Amino acid sequence: MAGAVESSLVSEDTSGTEAVAAGVVGIAAILFGISLGSMFELLSITDPIAGIPMVALLGTLLTLLGLGVIGFGLGSRFGYVATDPRPSAGLVASVAFSGIWFAVGGLVASQSFGLGTVGWVAVAFVTGGLAFAGTALPREDIGSTLPVGVFAVFVGVVFLTGVIGPSWVWDLGWEQQASFNAEFSIPVITAFCSLLVSWASAKAYGGFGARGRHVGAYLLVYLNALSIIAVLFLLVAFTVFKGLPGLFNGLTFGLGSGPETTLFGFTFAWPFAWPFVMNGVALLNDVNGVLPAIVGTIWLVIGAVVFAVPLGVGAAVFITEYADRGRFTQVVEVATNGLWSTPSIVFGLFGLAFLVPRLGNGKSLLAGMLTLGFMLLPLVVITSREAMLAVPDEYRDASAALGVTKWQTIRSVVLPASLPGIVTGIILGVGRIAGETAPILLTMSGSVAPPGSQTVDVIGGFSFTSSPPFVSNPELLQATSALPYQLYSLITAGVGQSSNIANIEQFRWATALILLVVVLSFYAVGIATRYYFRRKLQHE
Amino acid sequence: MSKTSQTTEDETKRTDQPLEVTAGETREQTQDEWTDYDFESQAKFSVEDLDVYYGDDHALKGVSMEIPENSVTALIGPSGCGKSTFLRCLNRMNDRISAARIDGSVELDGEEIYQDGVNLVELRKRVGMVFQSPNPFPKSIRDNISYGPRKHGDLETGFLSNLLGRSDEDEVDELVERSLSQAALWDEVEDRLDDNALGLSGGQQQRLCIARALATDPEVLLMDEPASALDPIATSKIEDLVHELSEDYTVVIVTHNMQQAARISDQTAVFLTGGELVEYGDTDQIFEDPESQRVEDYISGKFG
Ligand SMILES: Nc1ncnc2c1ncn2[C@@H]1O[C@H](COP(=O)(O)OP(=O)(O)O)[C@@H](O)[C@H]1O
Ligand SMILES: [Mg+2]
Repeated sequence: MAGAVESSLVSEDTSGTEAVAAGVVGIAAILFGISLGSMFELLSITDPIAGIPMVALLGTLLTLLGLGVIGFGLGSRFGYVATDPRPSAGLVASVAFSGIWFAVGGLVASQSFGLGTVGWVAVAFVTGGLAFAGTALPREDIGSTLPVGVFAVFVGVVFLTGVIGPSWVWDLGWEQQASFNAEFSIPVITAFCSLLVSWASAKAYGGFGARGRHVGAYLLVYLNALSIIAVLFLLVAFTVFKGLPGLFNGLTFGLGSGPETTLFGFTFAWPFAWPFVMNGVALLNDVNGVLPAIVGTIWLVIGAVVFAVPLGVGAAVFITEYADRGRFTQVVEVATNGLWSTPSIVFGLFGLAFLVPRLGNGKSLLAGMLTLGFMLLPLVVITSREAMLAVPDEYRDASAALGVTKWQTIRSVVLPASLPGIVTGIILGVGRIAGETAPILLTMSGSVAPPGSQTVDVIGGFSFTSSPPFVSNPELLQATSALPYQLYSLITAGVGQSSNIANIEQFRWATALILLVVVLSFYAVGIATRYYFRRKLQHE
Repeated sequence: MSKTSQTTEDETKRTDQPLEVTAGETREQTQDEWTDYDFESQAKFSVEDLDVYYGDDHALKGVSMEIPENSVTALIGPSGCGKSTFLRCLNRMNDRISAARIDGSVELDGEEIYQDGVNLVELRKRVGMVFQSPNPFPKSIRDNISYGPRKHGDLETGFLSNLLGRSDEDEVDELVERSLSQAALWDEVEDRLDDNALGLSGGQQQRLCIARALATDPEVLLMDEPASALDPIATSKIEDLVHELSEDYTVVIVTHNMQQAARISDQTAVFLTGGELVEYGDTDQIFEDPESQRVEDYISGKFG
């Protein structure tokens, strides 16, 4: 093996190049962030940043990044930097880059040079083929940098020369007149370029080869995860920002400033007035609110959970612990999975056709509760069953060997051990049913913008009677509203213009925000409960 | 009966091994010898002609033996020879395996446990069991120990009994201390009885399981390789414990470790592949001068 390149465990000092490569990755990541931000209208494409027009700034940065990446490739190829590249960048990269250059070639040929279909396809094949060869044939350090770098420079120049500028519109020319404007396409293109560039420079940072691939993949996975979280966060932030003004409209503090409430026989006045959550919609209100819908949603969820959880857990106990595993349990399993996937409007129709006529022949809170309870049932069965199957058989054996009966074992060992899993299922289910509109529309909804006087008072509505069933609660049999339904009617039916809601747009967003808050509160309660049960099961 | 002998015969022909038990008749004699074996104390269990099938798999073949009271009986043999199966017959844990079918008779203190109307709760209270891998419940140490008696209704705890002034908290404390002391665990856990049992080490968990079994005040303790998942120090603790327990309890212990069997047991039963009980007698005699060639081979490590 004379003449073989000596490889040492400690690589030569490459800290300078690594620092530059890390810098490029950093700038690319910032660019990625900027493009995400402008996609969500947090930044504007047309506004300048520090005096420089946004598009020009993006173009400059992309050009520089592209040149940097090309520099890494050439530096490595001609031995200025010690790297460990493989003979080729690989098939996946080659196919991906040829795809990109196919599109670039095609676009330039058809848009800039006005070639016809035959012409642009030919050009696209040439550029795509060149990119494929350019990626696959040379050593990895050239193959995975050059096509990317040139692409970034190309996009940068396009931005700089204003071929794609702030007022550019891409008319798709379809019948619906779909078009992408610059506000959307520039961030998307920038995000795509910066992803490619950061991948290529991460590979350079790792010195290509196995380690380079590892670093490159790591970066992509990381950016992917981060951007998913960022998108979710932006979604919530969007709702919060839009909703806050309407939510706190007319909030005042002071003893006795709030409305009087009677709870469990005590009457007291709230020390603050928060019209949006304390009022309904009425002509005489200064500020209108959604109190009936909030209360309706809360009772709806409580009712559905109270109905579905005992039934669902009981069914799960039966099919997991008592029924023999076989055809029957399989059928039940498939059926419950199917039920969980059933569209909610079908449940709503069932509620309308079956429950409503039997519960006072009118839409009612109770009908809504039961309908949503039926929707929740399959998920409770599925997750409870999974949780019970996950309880080790050793516990059951240990209990049986102590002479403890099956039912006592289930109650004292199996159920406590599966409670966290059951609660997880309930959390997921509540998240879904709390936002359901269709079943509520069909089984429960009353007026689209109910006044405060239509708030259900489930606790106060209970009374004892002298004839079976000895309790009555007319409140349960009243139609009421819920937040998703109210939101739906505010948006689609144009409700509100006639009802003295001053700023309908604000009102909608505030309603959406309240719905989010209510669902997240249930979620928090669920998480806390699960944490409590889990703590009891674990040593700590 | 004839069926069992038939099977043995076939087995013999096939394996062509010099068997201690060759034909039905010889077998009868040997079994009688064992049955009349002069143990110092009286028989706790008498097992006769026990056959166990898992579906078509004949896992135990015509096993007969008497297990004397207040002593340690070791069951040894290569894995898969039916030791656990035999042990599970003694407290009818095999009933929990739907594929298992049991033929034959097992008497506990002269009472048949495989007959209609046997109260499994009562049987398993009298015959406790410890499993191969420690399996404490994910509950506090105290709750683990008091689990059996509370579920049997022997001890009342909890909100309602507190309310009615019938709570047996003191008795529970007493029981917990007594059981843990018996299992030589009290000193190590006395100040963390309310911690979760899963926080204990493997050896401590196994002793907790022994304490949990002792808490229901059994007469017999069945142990299925109780030390096989433990390190040498924890193992020797369990062995010492088994030795002490044999003063008050009848212990039946499965092990595949022959040194362990030789150290701790008074009687040894050797099962060999195919689910037969090949030899049973005083531990000293089995290890020093086995009658069967197969047993000698097994003990000296020639096969198994
Ligand atoms: N639950 C079961 N279902 C089916 N076959 C089993 C079961 N338990 C044990 N067996 C079979 O019975 C035989 C004896 O097993 P076992 O009693 O566990 O042996 P040992 O404890 O001596 O290793 C083996 O062949 C095993 O495959
Ligand atoms: Mg075993």
